Amino acid sequence: MSEISFDASPYPVRDDIVASERAAWARLGRAGSWWSGPERPAIAAEARHALACPLCLARKEALSPRQVSGMHASLGALPAAAIEAIHAIRTDPGRLTRDWYQEALAHGLDEERYVELVAVVVTTVVVDTFHRGLGLPMPALPAAAVPGVPSRRRPKRAQVHHHWVPTLAPQDVGEDEVNPYEGNRAANIHRALSLVPEEVINFFDLGGAHYLTGAQMTDLGNEPRAIDRAQIELLAARVSALNQCVY
Amino acid sequence: MIWLRASEEKTGKRYDLSGVNGKGADDGGIDHGRLLVAFAEAVLGDDEARLDQVRRRLLDAIGPEALVDSAAVVALFNAIDRVADATGTPLEPTKSEASEDFRASLGINDYYAAAGKF
Repeated sequence: MSEISFDASPYPVRDDIVASERAAWARLGRAGSWWSGPERPAIAAEARHALACPLCLARKEALSPRQVSGMHASLGALPAAAIEAIHAIRTDPGRLTRDWYQEALAHGLDEERYVELVAVVVTTVVVDTFHRGLGLPMPALPAAAVPGVPSRRRPKRAQVHHHWVPTLAPQDVGEDEVNPYEGNRAANIHRALSLVPEEVINFFDLGGAHYLTGAQMTDLGNEPRAIDRAQIELLAARVSALNQCVY
Repeated sequence: MIWLRASEEKTGKRYDLSGVNGKGADDGGIDHGRLLVAFAEAVLGDDEARLDQVRRRLLDAIGPEALVDSAAVVALFNAIDRVADATGTPLEPTKSEASEDFRASLGINDYYAAAGKF
């Protein structure tokens, strides 16, 4: 079983970052809510593979990605609709549209599997980008320990509110359901993955370690990191600008 | 950037946000601001030699713990942007209002992804 290690890092990586990445990697190798154990690492592998996809590179250069048609260079382990979603999210996220999302559904991805796919791709992005930033090789992807059966639990009252995807409003979390909003403010970004509540918790576990926890964000009187608040936000804002993200 | 604005209000400092769109001529009032921007650009870019060079300069300037924290923030936002853009996450009305001035001045309203997000 692969495990993330920073033993070879010339820089001291905080324990909470190490723990969050190891936990994320372990989850990646297990069945989720809608994808199986083998499928989740396959999504992560495809996200890495997308970076060298000629079609994605051509689309990235085009005035509109829809002007360029063709086949993705894929690893072939996942359905075509999943491949398109993974590649577009990984390589050109700033030009995704509601129509593009609806096409993904029309081509066979259901809402729940789409949201979990997004979560797996972004988990891979956090870990891979962090390693790249430190000049470390990307860690081996976890092998699926057991095939596993997805739980297939959809929050009963999830519906389309303000996002393209259905979300779960805080007041609609059922008593017997996982609450994705403990420890966060249920801002729109927290709600984004809430159709698969476990993935909200998983992603913001990485978020608290790599950026700030919810409590740290609002506590402007303290500087919990080795860079100050202004430096943190400048980095965040520059990355968002490079990704052409408005949130 | 909402939090950058909040930080201004807390500290009384004023920051030049033009570094956000890569047009900053200096640090913009933020310690090592230009170098941090260069690091973010290099991590998201594909020039390995440039990334090695910028990482060394940043390490010399701010030290290993701060380098690690910088890489962590870049990593998280490279992902959270994708969460927002892949799910059609709109900006909350309060954030939209609070960011109206700098969204316009920095050209953020012109982003492809801006349609229907405010």
